[in-house]
Amino acid sequence: MGHYVVLWCVSAFHRTGHVCRGDSTTHRKAFPVLSFNYDHVKTPFEISLWILLALLMKLGFHIIPRVSSIVLESCLLIVVGLLIGGIIKAIKQTAPVLDSKLFFLYLLPPIILDAGYFLPIRPFTENMGTILVFAVVGTLWNAAFIGGMMYGVCQIEGAQLGHVDLLSCLLFGAIISAVDPVAVLAVFEEIHINELLYILVFGESLLNDAVTVVLYHLFEEFSHAGIVTVGDAFLGVVCFFVVSLGGVMVGTIYGILGAFTSRFTSHTRVIEPLFVFLYSYMAYLSAEVFHLSGIMSLIACGVTMRPYVEANISHKSYTTIKYFLKMWSSVSETLIFIFLGVSTVAGPHAWNWTFVIFTVILCLVSRVLGVMGLTYIINKFRIVKLTKKDQFIVAYGGLRGAIAFSLGFLLTNNEMKNMFLTAIITVIFFTVFVQGMTIRPLVELLAVKKKEESKTSINEEIHTQFLDHLLTGIEDICGHYGHHHWKDKYDAYVKRWLIVGERSTEPQLISFYNKMEMKQAMMLVESGSAAKLPTLMSAATLHRRAIPSISKSREEEIRKILRANLQKTRQKLYSYRRHDLVMDPFEDNVSEIRFRRQRAEMEKRVSSNTVIEFVNISSVEVQEISKCLCDCTW
Amino acid sequence: MGSRASTLLREEEIEEIKKETGFSHSQITRLYSRFTSLDKGENGTLSREDFQRIPELAINPLGDRIINAFFPEGEDQVNFRGFMRTLAHFRPIEDNEKNKNPTASEPLNSRTNKLLFAFHLYDLDRDDKISRDELLQVLRMMVGVNISDEQLGSIADRTIQEADTNGDNSISFNEFIKVLEKVDVEQKMSIRFLH
Repeated sequence: MGHYVVLWCVSAFHRTGHVCRGDSTTHRKAFPVLSFNYDHVKTPFEISLWILLALLMKLGFHIIPRVSSIVLESCLLIVVGLLIGGIIKAIKQTAPVLDSKLFFLYLLPPIILDAGYFLPIRPFTENMGTILVFAVVGTLWNAAFIGGMMYGVCQIEGAQLGHVDLLSCLLFGAIISAVDPVAVLAVFEEIHINELLYILVFGESLLNDAVTVVLYHLFEEFSHAGIVTVGDAFLGVVCFFVVSLGGVMVGTIYGILGAFTSRFTSHTRVIEPLFVFLYSYMAYLSAEVFHLSGIMSLIACGVTMRPYVEANISHKSYTTIKYFLKMWSSVSETLIFIFLGVSTVAGPHAWNWTFVIFTVILCLVSRVLGVMGLTYIINKFRIVKLTKKDQFIVAYGGLRGAIAFSLGFLLTNNEMKNMFLTAIITVIFFTVFVQGMTIRPLVELLAVKKKEESKTSINEEIHTQFLDHLLTGIEDICGHYGHHHWKDKYDAYVKRWLIVGERSTEPQLISFYNKMEMKQAMMLVESGSAAKLPTLMSAATLHRRAIPSISKSREEEIRKILRANLQKTRQKLYSYRRHDLVMDPFEDNVSEIRFRRQRAEMEKRVSSNTVIEFVNISSVEVQEISKCLCDCTW
Repeated sequence: MGSRASTLLREEEIEEIKKETGFSHSQITRLYSRFTSLDKGENGTLSREDFQRIPELAINPLGDRIINAFFPEGEDQVNFRGFMRTLAHFRPIEDNEKNKNPTASEPLNSRTNKLLFAFHLYDLDRDDKISRDELLQVLRMMVGVNISDEQLGSIADRTIQEADTNGDNSISFNEFIKVLEKVDVEQKMSIRFLH
């Protein structure tokens, strides 16, 4: 054994000696304590740096209050992008451009998913007809008008635009005609307009994706082929239906899968949010594989999945989903606008006064004409008509954004591409800066109805359901198969499959009421104030006047309701497992102290209150109630 | 055909109904054919059994109350005029009607009248208040059998608490209007009667 060690040592020394002898002329390198290796982390480092920069900018805007009240956030971000682009150009580096792949695969989906998941369904389905007409017919009109008129403009002598043929113009019209959901969201979010107008413009911007996709591919194919036959045009129409309905179908399938999966996640709550995100993203990507409308697929998935997933998942998962979606969409939006600014400075430009100016004017004109004409037709079929003010806001809110830019970027490289890109950027800048910034004062000026910031009361919930049943009944009496009839049928059959266990039979009213009670109980525990407690008490005292023995049973029922809803969480606090959400043991002690203090305070406040109403409730009952409230910790 | 001759709709009647309810000629004739198809006894009036024969109405939680709303106080038969008068509440509100003669009586499908119709469905004893018991009855119909009385009671209490502003432990018509001010009643309580 010993020889081997010696032999090994000798050979080791021999080796090093060999090396030393070989390198005796060069200085032996010292062991590097600190070294610089940037290439290794280059990509993630740069990405993180960009995102961090974007978010710091966003933070900065909100710290300076005056700026954010006058100028829109999206405008500021574009300006920042311009500055950064300028800096990068000055130091002669290549700037990262708003690559189409990056945009369509990574930046756009979070925004659309966020919008689709939280889409207010009722106004959306009630106005579906109007939205579809605006989205389909409106976009087609825009594309045709702009494309055709631009071709006419190009024929003007002296504009040096003779080389632009009809198909290219139509292609350009198709790209620039679509209202952009990102821009609409960014602007409308800040003006708090009423729900109807919001859903009209936003719904249109989502649903016109199918039209844009079809028109874009159609004209692109045609401009390569050179000759268009009637058969091709017919195929285009068929393609439109396939793209839109196919996208919706793909989205619905994934949505149902997601809802079904969420039925079984009661033991692995931690990964619940991931299912929502991944199924939705897969829906988007699958639709893109077949050149179907990815946006419609994503919306369909979110809309389908939401009611069932929310019934099945835990409260924490719901909060997680909400916050992650908002976070990602916020980051995406910020990045998009900054990159738009950077690409403007970086990209090759071909400025042509005639082309650009006419594009901007025609966009406005076609939008106004389109909205007015369509509203005239639509109002014949609507119950609640659209007023002139509504029409104005819808027309003015037709903003173009990054989707148009990315589609333009995808065009094959030819001499017209740069000119198109320049025009597109100008239109985007015009709509975002001019229209975006002036829409807020205009909304104030025209006194357009704003969104009402208030939570639904239980009265509204009850009476709305009551009216639903009433309307269904009246529709049945008239033999009229309307909205309510189909909704009822759908609800009856589908709910059984997708909601876990007994929750599927729980009436909506009860779950709504339970949610409200839970919220109130949580507020009580967190604030420790007795201000809310009186409402429970006074109702009990009212009963006291009528029937003396109710107060005990009332207390019993409060406890039962709370326990029934909050019981589930208690079991989780006892065993430690890595993939479970467990309360921090340190936190436990701290909160225990806090609760004891709060309880004492509550008792003190209640007992010292000399209002007559409290006299009838004994301190024992107060203790019992506060104990069961404090027992349940989130 | 002989027995039906007396039940055919005369032009003067159509005009009267048009004036009273605001329906158009084609809507009235269409609803008349629906009326006659429901009227199995062929005597020109509908009874409660005629309504109950509609299958979807049987599973509607508020089915009985809706049927009752068609029949005026204490009567068991409703003729076509009464049928149309009730349905007139659900006609969509039109823009041009808003500028009508202010001295004329309010049309049947105004927002207030729509809400009054709904209010009367709650308020069976017609004392112009929705008491706790009346509310409980409606809630029980809408919610089914799985929920306990106490739980339903708490919901009813909370509802009254939210709405009640004058402290009489019941919901008056004005309080009812107030809690529904944010709800788009014009759209919710309108049926698009195809022209």
